Amino acid sequence: MRRRSFLLAPLLLPAFTAAKQPAVRYAAASRATRLAFPRDHGAHPDFRTEWWYVTGALDTAQGDAGFQLTFFRSRPGLAEDLASPIAASQILFAHAALTLPGKPLLHAERAGRANLGAGFSSADCDVHIGAWSMRRSGTGAAEQFRLKVADAAFGFDLQLAPTQPLLLQGENGWSQKGPRPELASHYVSWPQLQVAGNLTLDGRRQPAAGRAWFDHEWSSEVLAAGGVGWDWIGVNLDDGGALMAFRIRDAAGATLYAHAALRDAAGRLTQFGAGEVSFTPVRHWPSPRNGARYPVQMAIRCGPHTIETMPVQDAQEISAHRPLPVSYWEGLVKIRGTLSGRGYLELTGYAGALKL
Amino acid sequence: MLSVANLTKRHPGSARPVFSALGFSIAAGEIVALAGESGVGKSTLLNCIAGLELANTGAILVGPQAQDIVRLDEAARAALRATTIGFVFQAFHVLPTLTVAQNVAVPLLLGGVAAGEHAARIEALLGRVGLPGFGPRWPGTLSGGELQRVAIARALVHRPSLILADEPTGNLDPRTADEILVLLLERVREEGASALIVTHSQHVAQNCDRILTLTPDGLQ
Amino acid sequence: MSAPRWQLSWWLIRAQFQTRRTATALSMLAIALGVALGYAIHLINDAALADFSQAMKSVQGEPDALVAPQDSAGRVPLALINQLARDEAVALVVPVIETRVRIGELTVRLIGLDVFSAGLLMPDLLPRQGESIKGGGLFEDGMYASPALLARLQTKIGAGVTAMRGDARWSTHIAGDLPAARPDDLLLVADIARVQAHFGPADAVSEGRIRLAPGTKLTAWLNTWAGKLPPGITLRAAADNQARLSNISRAYRVNLNVLALVALLTGGFLVFATQLTAVAQRSTQFALLGVLGLSPRMRLMQVLFEGLAIGVPGAVIGLALGWAMAAAFTRLLGGDLGGGFFSGGTPAIVPELLPALGFFALGCAASLAGALYPAWLNRVQPLAQALKTGFAQRPPSGRDDALRPRAGKAIALALVAGAALALTRLPALFDLPLAGYGAIALVLVLGIAVAPLVTQMAFGAFARRELPAAQRIAVQNVMQAPLMAQVAASGLIVSFALTVSMVTMVASFRVALDQWLDVVLPAPYYVRSKGVPLPPQLLAALERPDAPFARVERMAAGALNLDPRRPTVAVLVRELDPANPGARLPFTGEILAAPAGAIPVWISEPMQELYRLKPGQTLRLPLLGREVEVFVGGVWRDYARQFGAVVIGATDYRALGGKFEATELALWPHQGGEAAARDWLAREASRYGIEMAEAGEIRALSLDIFDKSFAVTYALEAAAMLIGLFGLAVTLAASVWLRARELATLSALGFNRAMLTRAVMLEGALIAAIGLAVGLACGIAVGAILTHVVNPQAFHWRMELQIPWLQVLPGAALTLAAGIIASRFAALQATRLPAAQVLASAQ
Repeated sequence: MRRRSFLLAPLLLPAFTAAKQPAVRYAAASRATRLAFPRDHGAHPDFRTEWWYVTGALDTAQGDAGFQLTFFRSRPGLAEDLASPIAASQILFAHAALTLPGKPLLHAERAGRANLGAGFSSADCDVHIGAWSMRRSGTGAAEQFRLKVADAAFGFDLQLAPTQPLLLQGENGWSQKGPRPELASHYVSWPQLQVAGNLTLDGRRQPAAGRAWFDHEWSSEVLAAGGVGWDWIGVNLDDGGALMAFRIRDAAGATLYAHAALRDAAGRLTQFGAGEVSFTPVRHWPSPRNGARYPVQMAIRCGPHTIETMPVQDAQEISAHRPLPVSYWEGLVKIRGTLSGRGYLELTGYAGALKL
Repeated sequence: MLSVANLTKRHPGSARPVFSALGFSIAAGEIVALAGESGVGKSTLLNCIAGLELANTGAILVGPQAQDIVRLDEAARAALRATTIGFVFQAFHVLPTLTVAQNVAVPLLLGGVAAGEHAARIEALLGRVGLPGFGPRWPGTLSGGELQRVAIARALVHRPSLILADEPTGNLDPRTADEILVLLLERVREEGASALIVTHSQHVAQNCDRILTLTPDGLQ
Repeated sequence: MSAPRWQLSWWLIRAQFQTRRTATALSMLAIALGVALGYAIHLINDAALADFSQAMKSVQGEPDALVAPQDSAGRVPLALINQLARDEAVALVVPVIETRVRIGELTVRLIGLDVFSAGLLMPDLLPRQGESIKGGGLFEDGMYASPALLARLQTKIGAGVTAMRGDARWSTHIAGDLPAARPDDLLLVADIARVQAHFGPADAVSEGRIRLAPGTKLTAWLNTWAGKLPPGITLRAAADNQARLSNISRAYRVNLNVLALVALLTGGFLVFATQLTAVAQRSTQFALLGVLGLSPRMRLMQVLFEGLAIGVPGAVIGLALGWAMAAAFTRLLGGDLGGGFFSGGTPAIVPELLPALGFFALGCAASLAGALYPAWLNRVQPLAQALKTGFAQRPPSGRDDALRPRAGKAIALALVAGAALALTRLPALFDLPLAGYGAIALVLVLGIAVAPLVTQMAFGAFARRELPAAQRIAVQNVMQAPLMAQVAASGLIVSFALTVSMVTMVASFRVALDQWLDVVLPAPYYVRSKGVPLPPQLLAALERPDAPFARVERMAAGALNLDPRRPTVAVLVRELDPANPGARLPFTGEILAAPAGAIPVWISEPMQELYRLKPGQTLRLPLLGREVEVFVGGVWRDYARQFGAVVIGATDYRALGGKFEATELALWPHQGGEAAARDWLAREASRYGIEMAEAGEIRALSLDIFDKSFAVTYALEAAAMLIGLFGLAVTLAASVWLRARELATLSALGFNRAMLTRAVMLEGALIAAIGLAVGLACGIAVGAILTHVVNPQAFHWRMELQIPWLQVLPGAALTLAAGIIASRFAALQATRLPAAQVLASAQ
């Protein structure tokens, strides 16, 4: 799944995209690759793009709260030949956000190059920029992810414990992203993680608990021409199941490619092809910041299932600035319909086309 | 209006007192001449009454409240002078750097008389001492007689109850001296004030209600 | 106070100003001058400092803390940067590699940036890619130049550029500019990794600038890292940098301000003289007002008001004048007052309210202080007596100065002298010679207090002799009017003492500097590059047999940060004979041989004093990224580096693993080959854009800088002398005026005007002579304090005392002549009135 390559591209403009054709040969996502863990929780620096992405719903006295932390790794193909340990060949970005009932969305970001205040491990999930970090440790019952974020307005320190096995998307973690087979990524999800820890708001710490979703995806190939954005959703179902669905849109809003996967409480996995998946906007939220109209309430069909997203609040647009401005909608939604649960909906390419 | 009792003054370092156990009083509206030979202590007595020098013993009750100036501190003595006593000196002592009107205004300023009254009072009084329209003039342009008229206006302007004059005509030629004396006595009576006038002049003394003569043995 | 009394007060002030225009204007001017000098010095320094720190802020941002090597040749390992970055108390670490490179003939600062972190802290340094440039922006090969540098190099974006440092070179192109760089900054910025790849340091950076997470307590956080740092690395509060910056010029500024304060003090004296005479002249008037009911408190206040009426406009004029002086100065000469600490650029003079109020208050305080004693005298005048006979010099208290035993006076004076002596023994406070300044003040007090004694002793003897009438009158007047004579003399004592002391100090320093230059410039020729190593090609050429030099000594300069709040100590790596360092360094004491195996270093006098070191001790220096134990072999005199320097032999430095990259050369040509050597050097110097100079030129330049740096102090001295003379004239005029009746009587008795004038002039000459004699003695004492206490404590410069008689004595003669002219002016004023009028008006 390549959705965040759209995001990354403008972030790294003009430094990366305007580069002469990179001399570096990136690794390609291969159907034949057999993933092994914890090694494949770690970074894959030979690939162009990679991200570790955690979203989750927290239960607070005031209602549903959501959190999000994403680390991106990018190899722009620059400074590859430079004899320096701090050459800008591997760059990291991070976005963190907090949705609190009745409050404006809190958002913060970080950026850095590997070996200079930021870094990643290729042996396991262990990535950081400054004091922000995402790290996996332990085995069996002790296995957990630790997330640390601290900014001026908010911070969190959360432990995420698995309650179910990993979910390898597509064919054993090889996930096709377009009609052509080269357009693919390696994609691993881990739904239904038990969350414990605390939030820090304006310097005051409070306990937090809930359910989270972990994604780890890496790829090298850019999406087919014509795509301007995507819609994606990942839902921890109330009954213990998990649903992931996405579609790639063109400028007219038509679907270029779509896919969905549903794992029920018993662990049975069902995959839905492009023809079985559809996204239909029900209600739009206009962004006061840039006028983009985000279809925050969306009817989604996956084979026999029909669900509708109900955002816990409409204003969950993220505007990141570093190193270049980009806006997208990423927020906590409730799901109703034939399935119910809480998940994160991601809507990109609405605030102007994300051109390469 | 003025009551002196049992007054003794001795200069520091001097064995003999200037005077001792003096006693007299002046009634309201009474004008008294103080005569005596040079050096007998007339000026010292006047200074004591004005609180410029302190008597060693005795009491000097001054003004409508009959305050004992011997027992007041320096600031209170100054305040008492500013409200109750008017002075006329032999040497005029008109401030050369202030205009005639400003000179006359000084007691009004020091006595705390409301500013609104100043101009009218000064103008009227200058008229009555024979200097109408002299207000803006500088003392340097005035004759001795005119200067003493300014001094008389200044002595009376704040309506004191007691006028102290130390040889007020001593620096003037006889004709002018007569005019000034008449003027001084007239104005004092007009204001209803009491006065103690130190003088060597028989002529002056005769124009007063009473004559006190200070001798080394006391008042006669 | 009620409104009518204000009215009276105002009338009196106005009258006073109208009748004494000259004296009032002079007093006002003196206050204005004092305030103006002080304020101008403050403004210029403030502007220069602000400009300097703004420049630093632009390049460095405003971090909370810094991690940096103590040795300028050191580095901060990447591992430490990464460790710090992961500290949860740290919001951001901005690593920087900073170096100097040669581009053609120009030496330029090259800053390697990590845009991700630097963008947040140092936005002024962010590069902008040229529109014509295609490619991947900052991470690709290329440099970004400040607009000033582009102009200086006469090049443009897209052009090729080659940067060199020692053996290393980087040929690339100018990919863009630095739009936010300050207009004067000559800067290059490139990606940190590119700079590292070409110029190093490997696996390290020059410095890390740290911003802490909100709510983190800086000091506590610094403490948590205290024991965990590798040797040779400091982690310090960034505010220390500011302190250090201000420390660089602090002693110099304080010194100048003390001088300005002296001008103000003399101004206060003039107010004293003016107000004292004003009180004396108007004693009858004040007595009259007292009789009319002006309270004693108001008689005191009135004189203070009059002092303020001089001080307030004086101070306001002074502020305006100071501002104008500062603005003119910076426009013409830049921000350097001669101390050499700030150079280049025209800093903007920005007056702020608080300092302006401060200097305003100082001016008012000086005039109030001057009016205090006259006001008190006015307060205690006996009214009846003053009305009759005028001003009483001695208040009528029971205490009579004449009756006080002389022994008591002598003891008091001896105590003051003892206190002054004791103060000169005290160490510096807050690195400032405050006790020394205190001693100077006491010496001046002593001089003023001793003047009447000297007067009585000198003229007592004089008066017993047979003298013509006019002279006798003059002598008697001086003896009988001690107060007025003392006032007149004290102004001269203070101003002459200060002038003599400054001249003495400057002369001592100049002689010492001259001798010092002889020792430190042994070679005929010198070559120097600014901060970059000398080109290896040049060094190679010098080693060839056809090079026209008999001997070449190389030197490299670095810097050590031994105390975060102090400016760095220079490290001089020199090729000198370890057995005979005295051949190259002007040692002040014994030279100790290092024990076997120990590394000898030789420290400068300032370093010895700042860090309290002793010859013969061992010392741990943070050299080359570790603690190195060295042996202090001796202390040498250094007038060039105020914050200390340490010399280490090149052989030892190399043995420690240091890279000896020479930045300076001393060259001895072959016998008879001077002309050829000079030509050869001039050619090579222009080829590599380095500086060459003959020893004579350096010497002349040094002395020139020295003279320039004391130009301001000469201006202050001139002001002080002028004020002192004003004081003499005003007081003499007043004292003559006070005796107008006496003079008139004399004139009635048959003295003619010429005789009276002569008597007054003689009186002026006598007072001036006493003032100058006492002033000279005090001046020499103060000069000794400046030379032996203030200079060593403020600047760590030690030298021998030299009294420049050839300057001091003619100066004294000149002042005496001026004093006599001033008293002639006073005499003419006093005798202008016809005697009859004086006698009549005075009753």
